[in-house]
Amino acid sequence: MTHATAQTGVERGFGQRLKTFLKDYYIYLVLIAVVVVLSTANLDKFPLFERGNFLSERNIINILRISAPILTLAGAFTLLMISGYIDLSVGSAMSLSAVVYAMLVINGVPFVPAFAATVVVGVILGAINGFLVIRLKITPVIATLITLSLYKGIALLLVEDGVSAIKSGGGLKMPGWFNDYGRDGVLLGLPWAFWVAVLVTLAMIVVQDRMKLGKYAAATGGNPTAAELSGINTKRTVITLYILVGICAALAGIARSSFMSLGDPLSGDGMELTAILVVLLGGTAFSGGEGRVLKSFIGALIIMSLTVGMLTLVPAYFQTLVVGAALLLAAASNHLVSRKDD
Amino acid sequence: MVQTALAEKALSIKDLTKDYPGVRAVDTVSFDIEPNTVHCLVGENGAGKSTIVKMLTGALEPTSGTMAVLGKPYQPNSTQDARNGGIGTLFQELHVVDQLTVLENLTMGMEVSRFGFLIKSDLEDRVTKTLAAIEPGIDPNARVSSLSVAQKQIVEIARAASSGANIIIMDEPTAALSEREVERLFGVIRRLRDSDVTVIYISHKLDEIFELGDNVTVMRDGKHIATKPLAQVNGRPELIEMMVGRSITHDYRPRGDIADNPVLTVKGLNSHLLKDVSFQVNAGEIIGFYGLVGAGKTEVARAIYGADKAHGQVTFKGRPRARSPKEAIASGIALVPEERRTEGLFTALTIRRNIPIMNINKLAKFGIFQDDQEKSVAKEYVSKLGIATNSVEKYAEKLSGGNQQKVVLAKCLFADADLLLLDEPTRGVDVGAKSEIYDLIRDFANTGRAVCVFSSELEEVLGLCDRIFLMYDGRVEAEIRNGATVDIPKILNIVTGGGKAGT
Repeated sequence: MTHATAQTGVERGFGQRLKTFLKDYYIYLVLIAVVVVLSTANLDKFPLFERGNFLSERNIINILRISAPILTLAGAFTLLMISGYIDLSVGSAMSLSAVVYAMLVINGVPFVPAFAATVVVGVILGAINGFLVIRLKITPVIATLITLSLYKGIALLLVEDGVSAIKSGGGLKMPGWFNDYGRDGVLLGLPWAFWVAVLVTLAMIVVQDRMKLGKYAAATGGNPTAAELSGINTKRTVITLYILVGICAALAGIARSSFMSLGDPLSGDGMELTAILVVLLGGTAFSGGEGRVLKSFIGALIIMSLTVGMLTLVPAYFQTLVVGAALLLAAASNHLVSRKDD
Repeated sequence: MVQTALAEKALSIKDLTKDYPGVRAVDTVSFDIEPNTVHCLVGENGAGKSTIVKMLTGALEPTSGTMAVLGKPYQPNSTQDARNGGIGTLFQELHVVDQLTVLENLTMGMEVSRFGFLIKSDLEDRVTKTLAAIEPGIDPNARVSSLSVAQKQIVEIARAASSGANIIIMDEPTAALSEREVERLFGVIRRLRDSDVTVIYISHKLDEIFELGDNVTVMRDGKHIATKPLAQVNGRPELIEMMVGRSITHDYRPRGDIADNPVLTVKGLNSHLLKDVSFQVNAGEIIGFYGLVGAGKTEVARAIYGADKAHGQVTFKGRPRARSPKEAIASGIALVPEERRTEGLFTALTIRRNIPIMNINKLAKFGIFQDDQEKSVAKEYVSKLGIATNSVEKYAEKLSGGNQQKVVLAKCLFADADLLLLDEPTRGVDVGAKSEIYDLIRDFANTGRAVCVFSSELEEVLGLCDRIFLMYDGRVEAEIRNGATVDIPKILNIVTGGGKAGT
């Protein structure tokens, strides 16, 4: 078919190439646009940005630190959605992990064992979701709505009556190193929590491109029947993905808990929506089959820039609306670019 | 029902033609259908019956020619048009809503409303009467989910009848029914005919045609062969002769002697559909399973592949039956499924991502997938199988049917199979790609590996297979060694239920 290659190479018009380019690089352009708009806006008047510049070192570090939880979560969540499934319990799993981690630390457990134990909690929470969806065959949305309530309920129960979160007081004191993980710059001024998010994302990119699990996720989401007939154990694939999401939710919980210096049972509220938005913004199809881990990571950066940036431009009560509008714009144009036709 | 003059034809088709690129599926066909008759449409697969049905129901637009219903020109663009024109269809997949009652299903889409609010009308009485007239055994208030497939079918027929259809098309309505249910359906069809409805009945089962039909139209290779009263047809032999003509050419080339060296042995295979299926496949042999839709070919393939539950003894290379496709692939069996787009192909993935999916471990080192290797493998298979594409990065969705099928075949070849199960390997594939796929199958068998072809195209099994098993109603009715002396009318007689013949 060599002559065909030569022919179509010539035939492919500029319009087609522009379209392919836009489809592939769209999300990066959006990120650049958001950054440009936010950094040219006049922010001097606002006290949060002392140097009055969105692109200031301080502000960038600030945004990236706050973003650590969603950045940690985006990759695994993308793979799960590519396989055609969803996890609405991530926010509650994150809250529960934050509470467990804070409880362990405040009771004197050192960093490494507390960290490891919280990750194990994440594995269990993910495995429960996988069990409900695959073994008990409960629709993913319903199953994870159930665990959304359950996990949050447990997190609330773990916190003592009359207290809003696990924090110093009542004879117990949070050790001083507790928020190092989430706040203390270790490289380029950024804390461990952020670098863990980067490492997790890199790992998920490797999983997506270079491991069986990634290939099987795409196959399962693209065509479950064909996947089964091709010898793929789709059940095991999906359970593994739920566990991965659970682990990432635990890591996100640790990051959030350390950043806020407390174990708040409500700290993950709304995280499931943010995760879905980020993944959709990154171009993953809701129906499964398609999507890129890296693009979700970029999507998370866009959302967080907008959220934090908006805080400085408009009153706080406008923020959600503006973020929603910006997302609508992004998603609609993404749809136009990637619309399927020849 | 609409009052009509007796002379008016229920349906009149004139010079109807449908062209596809490179193929004339229906070639200047003309015939009339008398009112209040059961008119049968017969022909082999690919004879053009379904294309005609699709034009009648508005799913396809004719290239040329005209249709008239009760003397009025008829040009449907949608099922809705067809319904308004008085033609209802009983599709093979049922379109009833399980969660609603029979009555709600019957009135669906015909509800009378004012400002969006439902208002009482005589509609419910009318449909209840229609239902009672054709099948009193069904309770209008029963939930459809509690009905059997046969009863759901009758609900659909009642819906067509009560929406004022003068013609109801039934395409293979008995494929999923038991014998008793078939009898009941026939009763319904006769009562419909007596109440002023014309039925166009399509079936491969010739016995049904003789039992039920008033007139028959025979199609062959897109052409109209004959339309006449069944009373004037001289039994099965004449009908089969009209269906087949002398047109079946088969280019079977004997492939030399195949030693008696069984790799696959199946003994007493039973499942929900299969009855005591037994056979052997030797190394290097191409075996054919020929039968009509619903004869059990797909079920045999899926049982061997571990995709369906089944009982019986299956031995492949000394190992027992695979319990899952995963096990089957590991033991060296690969399946090209019947439905390419829904069962075989990942249309949302590129060619290169599709090819290795059945055997990903082959491209992984220590769990890490070798991307460059995947690309070179994909290129190798694209050129080896002659997949027409400018790049291995092309999405499978954008390929033609023939090239998609080659990608599915490439998946199986990459899985290092020793036994290929090919279910309808060339359905929807153009002629050129067809013969290329046949050559690939022969090459595969020539290396000493085995192939089972499951096909409802006689030409395909006659052109390709060394031995052919004829299936009817879940059983293997006969085994035939392919060769120049194959008796085609006898084969057709057996697969249409014409009794057992010696092996």
